[in-house]
Amino acid sequence: MARSDILVGVEVGTSKVCAVVGETGREGTLRILGVGSAPSRGVRKGEIVDIAIATECVHDALADAETNSDAEIGSVSVAVTGSHIRSFNSRGAILIPSERFEIDEEDVSEVAVKAREVNIPTENAFLHSIIQHYYVDGQDGVLNPIGMVGRRLEADYHIIHGVKTRLQNTLRCIRENGVQLDEVVVNSLASAQAVLDQHQKDLGAVVIDMGGGVTDYIVYENGAVRHSGVLAVGGDHISNDISLGLRIPLTRAEKLKVEEGSTVLGQGTPGEMIVLKNDAGFSGKEVEREMLNTIIHARVREMFELIRKGIESEIPLHLLGAGVVLTGGCSLIKGIKDVAESVFDLPVSLAREAGVSGPKSVLNNPQYSTAIGLIKFTQALRAEEEDPGLFGSVLQKIGGIFRRKG
Amino acid sequence: MISYPRSEAGEPASVQALVLGLGNAGVHLVDRLTMSGIAEAEFIALNTDAQSLASSITQTKIALGQKVTRGLGTGGDPEVGYEAAQESLGEIRSALEGAQIVFLCTGLGGGTGSGVAPVIAESAREAGAIVISIVTSPFSFEGKRRSAQAREGLAGVAEFSHAVLHFENDRMSELASPRAGIEETFSISDNFLGSAVISLLEILRGGAPLPVGLADVLSVLGGGSAAALFGRGEATGDNRAHEALERALKSPLLDRGRLLAESHAIISHISGPASLSFAEVAAIMRELGKHVADTAQLFLGVTTLRDTNSPVTVTLVGNYAAGDLDAQPVVEHHAERPAPRQRPTFAAPAPQHEETESAPAPRPRHTPAPVVEEPAPLFSDSTEEPAEEVPEAAPAPVPTPPPAARPVAAREHRAPAAPKPQPQPAGPPTAPKVKQETLQFESVARGRFEKSEPTIVEGEDLDVPTFLRMRGKTR
Repeated sequence: MARSDILVGVEVGTSKVCAVVGETGREGTLRILGVGSAPSRGVRKGEIVDIAIATECVHDALADAETNSDAEIGSVSVAVTGSHIRSFNSRGAILIPSERFEIDEEDVSEVAVKAREVNIPTENAFLHSIIQHYYVDGQDGVLNPIGMVGRRLEADYHIIHGVKTRLQNTLRCIRENGVQLDEVVVNSLASAQAVLDQHQKDLGAVVIDMGGGVTDYIVYENGAVRHSGVLAVGGDHISNDISLGLRIPLTRAEKLKVEEGSTVLGQGTPGEMIVLKNDAGFSGKEVEREMLNTIIHARVREMFELIRKGIESEIPLHLLGAGVVLTGGCSLIKGIKDVAESVFDLPVSLAREAGVSGPKSVLNNPQYSTAIGLIKFTQALRAEEEDPGLFGSVLQKIGGIFRRKG
Repeated sequence: MISYPRSEAGEPASVQALVLGLGNAGVHLVDRLTMSGIAEAEFIALNTDAQSLASSITQTKIALGQKVTRGLGTGGDPEVGYEAAQESLGEIRSALEGAQIVFLCTGLGGGTGSGVAPVIAESAREAGAIVISIVTSPFSFEGKRRSAQAREGLAGVAEFSHAVLHFENDRMSELASPRAGIEETFSISDNFLGSAVISLLEILRGGAPLPVGLADVLSVLGGGSAAALFGRGEATGDNRAHEALERALKSPLLDRGRLLAESHAIISHISGPASLSFAEVAAIMRELGKHVADTAQLFLGVTTLRDTNSPVTVTLVGNYAAGDLDAQPVVEHHAERPAPRQRPTFAAPAPQHEETESAPAPRPRHTPAPVVEEPAPLFSDSTEEPAEEVPEAAPAPVPTPPPAARPVAAREHRAPAAPKPQPQPAGPPTAPKVKQETLQFESVARGRFEKSEPTIVEGEDLDVPTFLRMRGKTR
């Protein structure tokens, strides 16, 4: 192991900051030692709007994680998200010099650079270039071209980029707390590491991470990232809808969503009322259950429909055999699976982190999947570094996620 | 003048108002009105209690359910009242025949009021009359059972009435001083009811120069709300306009004018001698405007009387959703049901398009179901026939020479409580803006995201609640 075998993933979310401390084993196993979380302030729609407060929240979460895991946190991987993050697929191509035919590592890194020779806005920075496929002399589906013989090497990359300054804010929150940064990973990519196994990635799957402020999604097909996106709508919007629709304070709307919220329509007794007890500054109220569910249903359905449109523009849905995996705090809403099934017309499952051991309460909570995914992602990168034969080291620096064999 | 084409006679009679006093309270009221000498109305006293009828001075009396009750009253049981009504149904129907406007006055809560009133309202409606119910609900100290019966009765009455003017006795008690005798209090309450009937008759009688139409009255009172706002003030002298309005506003039913702000439609009727000046009317309306919500519809009627000594009278009639007070939520719920119910109002052959609507006439009681599928054209039918287009409204059947005839029946729609799109022309009153629980906040719909960067996808602001945007699309 290059550095410590303690890895920490931090997600600065809209509703909370959570830090997960994990320990990697020699065989690539991962055990969660502990988690820390703190309610988040100063974050809107996944982006930091008040850096001082957000830094404090990160500090609280890290301190909590240290206490719970009994480990010292020196460096962390952090997840970023926000509506500014964009992605596209790009193909790079190079000709192998005629004096040699065997493709070597340099060629692979060169083609990666070529693929990134695309116009992105100047204020943007590359976050990830993720290899999808290689083509050698037009031959499709090459997994590892190194050592192969050919004249022409092409590569499809999925490129994710975002606005530099906006990304910097999140990173500053971490640095201000005196910890090092290991990796910066897009939310959806991290979540996918936690909730998808290799088999699902090969079959084709969508991961939808429904957070408080934003919903991240990523599409895998043939084991590679095919598409990813960020929809700046999340659980906060649902609470806001409830608050506006039923005319109750936002905090009560939030509580009502968590306790009673459901997307199932027409199941309850007609006219069934939910009694909200009075509270300081709130005189109590009765709200109709069907009304509540209608509001939630409308929002959730719309979110899925927008995501579906985004995915369909890239890839036909029926190619995604493993279906949709929902994660994130919002996926805890009752009946959300049925809505997703009806929108996507695909099998839908709720996330269960695979290949991780640790406290059950953490693993079963989809709110932690991004942070756990961060650890797995970092772990995978570390494994690549130890085995530099697979790809060139330059490629690794870019922060690509690598196709694992098998 | 509201006149009505009589089916056979063909003479433009003035409005044939029939005032029914039902039950002890109703009989009292009718007696009082008879004594006050209103010529335009015909009065009938109906009761199960023979004694009460015997002492009544009203000309026409109907003893209900003589077999069922043996003339002893219902003993406070609406079931008995209902049976009595069924027994005397024939008599009731023949009495209602030919009536155009029926004022059904009763005190709810007792057996006769709660049991019989819905039956009469239904019969009157079947007879083709406009039914305006003026009812009181009992004092709360009269017991919960009585209140419950009153609520049921009110729901029944509301189902068949075109308009309900509902007075809560609890509020009426404020009319009398606390030390007033019980009889005095009741009689003040009766008086008040009486003046409500008189006022309504006056309003409906309309007249120059600025009449209030029946449709306006129905639109104000037919909103499905449960409690009435009513105030009436008279004054003479130099400052008569101001004083009359002051007195009208002092009515406890208006809560010193405060409740006017809650009302979504208000009729303000001003009558006075020919010397009533435009400035005075304008002053009254200006003053009134301060008490009325900006969104409320205001119907102004002005009548000048020949009698030069008559006082200036300001009458305010409105309705507010009872849910605003905690008074009678159940009533409000029930009262909404009948709202969009449509009935043919012409007993005599009506214009064809009206006739087609009359097919589902004999509806069973308590059927809210057909309410939803109310054919929309009916609304336009019934409202696009304003006063002037008489030939359109009443073409064939009778050679009616209607000089200023208003096709009263054509206006008989009741404004539904649900915010339903109504194809109404601009002139006649539109449905009153009904207070509803949700969805009135297009302008401030972003809530907590007000200050954050908007999320615009495909031209839609996703920060605005989805259900709001969907509603906008389906509209």
